[in-house]
Amino acid sequence: MDKTAIAKKPVVSVNRAKRSPFYYPLKALTYVILLGGAIVFIFPFFWMISSSLMTLGETITRQILPKVPQWVNYQEAWNQAKFSKYFINSVLVTLGTLTGLLITSILAGYAFGRMDFKGKNILFGLFLATMMIPESVTLIPNYLMIRGSIIPLPGGTWLNTYWALTIPFIANAFSIFLLRQFFAQIPKELWDAARMDGADHLRFLIQVVLPISKAPIMTVLLFGFTGSWNAFQWPLLVTTKDTWRPIMVGLWSFVTEAGPQTHLLMAGAVISLLPILLIYFLTQKQFTQGIATTGLKG
Amino acid sequence: MTEATISVKPKKSGSSLHRLQTKEQISAYLFVLPAFIVILVFGLFPIGYSFYMSLFNWRVTKGSFVGDKNYLLIFGSWTNLLITIVGILLIIGAFWLWSNAFKSLKKGEQIAKLVAALVMIIGGVIFITGWGQMYDSGNKSFLNSLIITLYYALGTVPAEVILGMILAFMLYQDIIGKEVFRMVYFLPYVTPSVTSAVVFQIIFSLRETSIANGVIGFFGISPQKWRFEPRPIINLLGADFAGFLAGPSLALVSIMLYGIWSFVGYNTVIFLAGLGNIPKETYEAAEIDGATKFDMFRNITMPLLSPTTFYLTLIGFIGTFKAFNHIYVLRTPSAGDSVITTSLLIFDQFYKANQYSVATAQAIVLFLVILGLTLAQNKLMGERVFYG
Repeated sequence: MDKTAIAKKPVVSVNRAKRSPFYYPLKALTYVILLGGAIVFIFPFFWMISSSLMTLGETITRQILPKVPQWVNYQEAWNQAKFSKYFINSVLVTLGTLTGLLITSILAGYAFGRMDFKGKNILFGLFLATMMIPESVTLIPNYLMIRGSIIPLPGGTWLNTYWALTIPFIANAFSIFLLRQFFAQIPKELWDAARMDGADHLRFLIQVVLPISKAPIMTVLLFGFTGSWNAFQWPLLVTTKDTWRPIMVGLWSFVTEAGPQTHLLMAGAVISLLPILLIYFLTQKQFTQGIATTGLKG
Repeated sequence: MTEATISVKPKKSGSSLHRLQTKEQISAYLFVLPAFIVILVFGLFPIGYSFYMSLFNWRVTKGSFVGDKNYLLIFGSWTNLLITIVGILLIIGAFWLWSNAFKSLKKGEQIAKLVAALVMIIGGVIFITGWGQMYDSGNKSFLNSLIITLYYALGTVPAEVILGMILAFMLYQDIIGKEVFRMVYFLPYVTPSVTSAVVFQIIFSLRETSIANGVIGFFGISPQKWRFEPRPIINLLGADFAGFLAGPSLALVSIMLYGIWSFVGYNTVIFLAGLGNIPKETYEAAEIDGATKFDMFRNITMPLLSPTTFYLTLIGFIGTFKAFNHIYVLRTPSAGDSVITTSLLIFDQFYKANQYSVATAQAIVLFLVILGLTLAQNKLMGERVFYG
């Protein structure tokens, strides 16, 4: 706003004259508030990292920094506190979920965006309706389903299995909607040309559509990743043993089972945050824009 | 190219064209099938099955059919619910009348306002009567949880929206390090809620040396029990209120502070996007007309941002009714019911108490409450929104 005002020459003198008494104090106040806000937002992270490097004694007396950084805490959290197991579980669950999610949402997004079939609009409306339903409503029937109480499942029950953590999340209406919007905008001429060359829908999708759809696919992957990595309520319900406990449930159970070991807990918290931070910093712009334009958290 | 395809088609016989279309139909269904199965089984089927379950006496395994008994356990009787809903509708109607009297009527404004005020009072009385009867004969912990959720929503959403707007407006000026600020503000939102809630567990612990006690100690306030304090915050300040007038407990306020911390950055980013959509020419024109910065904020920025504000308020309210992870992590046994929002109550009812059918009935009521809130907000606020 200021930039454009200054760029327009006739306005400058008026501006300067009018704004001069308050301009610098206001600017200073703005910085003070912005910096104050930044400190409030960043402090818990700083404190988390700092106490993850303290001794247990130091976490109890209010210290800001450890005397000697205890890197061994991370080793202990990773090995003894089983965060390695939880971490690997989460990686596997996330990879499985993302693979399934990509396949189902690309195919369905393409069909809804570029193909004609009977009942298309009704089906799409049904899909979208699932986005409005709170988890509390679907949670209990889904639990019974996974327990094998509604229909018989191979292996009897899926509680404490890899399937329970992945299968319910390998498709969602949001990803399909996002890709449909993009696929529908691809010019019809491309499809006509491909069809002249004898391509069918699947080949057109793989050879033409996918290479130009990197951005929306990336958004789907980002949301899928955060959703899967941050999952808590559902895994809490369907895992009772360490075998398939993902990282967030592991972190929570460490609080309740291991007693007050703040230094190890904070080391575990840092470990659970690292992959998300890494992806956030690497894809910062896309991450922020993806959320700003779609307005949803994964 | 289009011509070419058209010219090809007539040469084919009708049946082969038909076959081509059928083939396309089949492949389309095959494309949708994998997603359809998953969404049908885990997204659509559970809605119907939840309702089905709520009609039985279902504890771990299915019991006898009980009809509307699980719903009556919540409300006491359908009449109670009906009275309460009529009260709410009257209040909404009065509010609508009030805001419309401002707009359209010139002469009848006073009368319309008087009528609206009267309707609102009547609606309020009816609502309180219905609610009181429900409270006497229905499920107290469920109705309490709705009030806790409402406290939580009222304590977080307006603060998040206002702080988000202020920060976004400041960041929109000529600021050095704009990108860095935005990244830092957004960080709490990106952080997994269990991770940050675990950190806030320690920050709001009852130790005298906890960070929260350190901060209030700096202002000369004696150490508090934070997440472990079931007493209403207003009682801690010295006033002697009881019941719902007393407001949220300190434990709930701790969770609210966490909620605000984690959500302000999201609102900031969305407001920044909203500010970016306001044409610069509008400000330039106003500046030439001699408008001050405050005038511009009041008369240009605020109205043009109102769709964003509306959207964020709606998302925020619905979010608080769905919120689970951080409340689950931050609650303590000693805070008792004072932090149990509806979604937590439903989860406990199911997971701890094994009352499957009671929990599903409550979940369906929660869903209807969310739906009603969305519609009411659309009606009340939607009309005031200025869609440039």
